[in-house]
Parts: sequence; C-alpha cells; structure tokens
Amino acid sequence: MTKIIADNLKYKYPLSDKLALDNISFKVEKGEFIGIIGANKAGKSTLCQALTGLVPHFYKGAYGGKVFVDGLEVKEHSIAEISLKAGIVFQNPFTQMTGSKMTVYEEIAFGLENLGIAREEMQKQIDHAMELMDIASLKERNPFDLSGGQMQRLAIASIIAMNPEIIVLDEPTSQLDPEGSEEVFLAVQLLSRQGVTVIMAEHKMEKVAKYCDRILLLYNGEIIDFDTPGKIFSRDDLKQYGVVPPIFTSVCRELGVKKSGTDEYPVTLEEARAALGRKVK
Amino acid sequence: MKQISLYADRNSFVHDLDPISKLYYILFSILVPVILPSISVTLICSFLSIILLLLAKVFKKALPVFLLVFIVLITVVIIQGLFRPGNETIFLKIGPAVFYKEGLLYALKVTLRVTDIVGAFLILVLTTKPSDLVESLVRRGLSPRIGYVVISVFQIIPEMTSTMSTIMDAQRARGLETEGNLITRIKAFIPLLGPVVLGSLVNTKERAMALEVRGFNAQGNKTFLNEEKTSVLSKPIQLGLLLIVVMAFVWRLLT
Repeated sequence: MTKIIADNLKYKYPLSDKLALDNISFKVEKGEFIGIIGANKAGKSTLCQALTGLVPHFYKGAYGGKVFVDGLEVKEHSIAEISLKAGIVFQNPFTQMTGSKMTVYEEIAFGLENLGIAREEMQKQIDHAMELMDIASLKERNPFDLSGGQMQRLAIASIIAMNPEIIVLDEPTSQLDPEGSEEVFLAVQLLSRQGVTVIMAEHKMEKVAKYCDRILLLYNGEIIDFDTPGKIFSRDDLKQYGVVPPIFTSVCRELGVKKSGTDEYPVTLEEARAALGRKVK
Repeated sequence: MKQISLYADRNSFVHDLDPISKLYYILFSILVPVILPSISVTLICSFLSIILLLLAKVFKKALPVFLLVFIVLITVVIIQGLFRPGNETIFLKIGPAVFYKEGLLYALKVTLRVTDIVGAFLILVLTTKPSDLVESLVRRGLSPRIGYVVISVFQIIPEMTSTMSTIMDAQRARGLETEGNLITRIKAFIPLLGPVVLGSLVNTKERAMALEVRGFNAQGNKTFLNEEKTSVLSKPIQLGLLLIVVMAFVWRLLT
C-alpha cells in the first residue's frame, strides 16, 4: 500500500532564486524505513517539511507538482489535517517542547488536546506512546529537565501519540550524543516494525545503512538515486554529492571485498564481517 | 527547573479552590471597598485577605511583596499627611513637619485598599498553578493562542535566561571582559545581543513549526487532559461573593 507519492515536486523559498526542491518524484510503501541523505543544502529538511505540509503552508514560496500523504494532497489540506496522517520530529529537541506544559505526560497530551480527542482515548494513546519510547518512568518530570536523548524521545512520543501512519524525522540525532542517538534509532526502528512508515533525514551513514530499507540520495534539490543502502553506498560517485559512505563500506572498497554473489560493498559491520570472512574487532 | 511563577505548593483548602472562584474574590476585594468607601469595610476586606493567606500557608511568601508595596505606600502617608488639600486638624509634629489627621486617614484608607487588593491577587498567584488558571480561562472562551502565550512565558523566559548565561560564559571563555565598571559591562552586553536575539528568533520559528504539526491551529473544539478543578464550595463561594457585591451596591444606593 503506497503511503507517500511525490509527483514532480518543485519548491522555491520566498526571496530565493534557486529551487530548493526540483522535480522530486518517488513513492514510499507502508511500513518502509526510508533514509534521506545528501550534503548540507541538498534539500533534505525542505523535503521533510514538504511531506508534512509545512512547505508550502508554513513557508509559503513557489510550489509546483503534487505530494500525497496517505491519500491526502498536501497542498489542499491544512497542517493540522495532515498531522493526523504524518507527524514530523525536528533536529532540536528543546524547541519542540511547547513550554506550556509542566510534565512529560501533559506535554504528550498537547497535540491530542488541540485535535479534540476525548480524555479516555487521549490517556490510552499517551500511555502507548510513552511505552513505545520507553519514557513512562519520566511521566511526572518537567520536559525541560530531561537529557537531550530523553527530550527527543519525548518529542517523538508526542508525535506518535497523535497516531500518524507516517513519521518524518529531520536529523533527529544531530544534537545528541552517541547514546542518545542510539536510543532514538532503536525507538524509531521499533515504530517501523509496528507498521509505521518512517522517513528520516540523517547524516550518520553507519546508522542509515544499518536501519533503513531504502535511501533517497539528494543533491542540489534533485533526486540522484533512490535504492537500497547496498546499492547507494556502492556508488563510485558518492563523494561528488558530499556523502561519505559508512566506514565498513570504505574499508571493504579499499580491500576490494564485495558481498558474496552481488556487485555491492558491505554497508554494515555484520555484512563486512561476513564478507571479510573473519572477525573484525 | 527554574520557574518564574510564584506558585507555592501547599496543602490547603484555598489551594483546592478553583481559579475562577479566586478571580471572583479579586473582583470582590476591588469592588466592595470602592462601593462602600468606609475605613471599617476596607479593614474587614484587608483582614479577610490576610487571614486567607495565613490559612493557605503562604503568608511568609506574601510578606516580601507586602514589604515592597509598603515601601511605596510610605510615600503616600508622608505626602498625604503633610500636604493633602483639606488638611486642618494637626495630628503630629516632628520638627518642622506637621502631619494632619485628614491626610493620614486618607493615606490609611489607601494603604488598606492596596493591602486588600494585593492580598487578593497574592491569594490567586501563590495558590494557583499558572497553567490551571489559564486552562480554566480557555475553557471559558479565552483564545487558546493567548492562553499559550501567557503560560509559555513562565517556562521559556527562564530557559532564555539560561541560554543567555551560556553565551556569556562562552564569550568570557574567549577573553571578553564582562565584569568591572559600568562601561565594561555595557560593552560586554553588546556582543551578547546578536546571538541572543537571533537565537531566540530561530527558536521561535522552530517552536512555531513544532506547534503547527501538533494541531495548534486545528479547527474545532479543544479537549483537556485534566478534568476541571472544581470543589463543592466553588459555586456557593462565587454566588456568595457576587451577592455581597450586589448587596453592597444596593446598600450604597439606598443610603
């Protein structure tokens, strides 16, 4: 079942002469975990925002083409309507806290209150989101007292509680330490396994290679490739798009070791181990 | 978590009362002494506020506010006691300064009124969580946007202050003089403005987006996670206070 369709999407920010997104077309199926990679200014964040209606509703600017999110055409529906289908988590966990709620539990409820969800249903959804993100023990804490990783998991929980079928994450681990990043990736992987479609813009290539089903490679607002991690990271021209492949891929490329029976280099530690045929410490 | 709210968490029947009843009390405390401008009525109202503060176990927290107010009120006593037009009866002579009874009585009335009103506001502020107050008002038709602005200030301002001190520390670590005479301090303030103002603008934009995707501008009725705080006493108290105001008004008209 197709959850996202982008059809010839073009977008230009107000006051800019250059297209931030140019001729973007792709489809994403239900339950897929998609990584968006590319150099800075490649259009990753803009694409994330285009999938949740912030482009064009929040940013305005020149918009062409169509984006369908779970059947809704983004341009024709308000951000609030789209938020029921697709939620978005941003880079900075701090600015995602509303600042109007005193506890983690109330913070998660914020979106549900706005959407007019009944109290009993609201409590069920909050409990479910807290359990998924493993933050039930933080229920009574003030959101601003949490660590970066905890705060980001709270931000994700706040979106999950709204029960979207699609969750978009725009570099959610860029301000987190390795431990916090791993917490977030594991949480998102869990969501994906539960059938939520995940789109994540990310710079940590080892993680992208490990967790994503397919990767969308962007450069200057255009799609260069959309394929499996093995295919994407085995491209010879990645450097010119400002992407550094996972360290395992680089090592195996230097050694000329490919995955058995394919033309692809290993992209994860496990694949590299298997390909090298010995234990890598 | 630093907060700029004055709320003091205690266990008292005043804390258990709903915010709207406390708003009624403020209205009562302002209107009754205005409608019936005798010193005895104002005195009763002031005592009532102070007794309620004591019962709410927050009088100690109210004292600094009262002290601050009294410092201002001393000027009223001095000026009215010395110079109020209509001063005739000498009450006290301190050297060349002559205090008159009429002026002092007027100053007493003003002092009592201010004590009464400040006390009533303190009852609300010290015994009500700001979020409970705003939520009660939103339930009664206040725009959720205005409610959000009011309530978020309590947490976002302290966060901005801590960001500002981080920036200051970073600048100090790179050799910027931030301590010393006034000129040095003013000079240190200028490089702080850019990052703080721009940072706040960026944060505000990001927060606005985060709010949007959580349905902040959704059409239709909002619901609330918490049930509205009400007490069996709420309605009788509100009606009683209203009745007293009306009775005071009628009394004033008839006499």
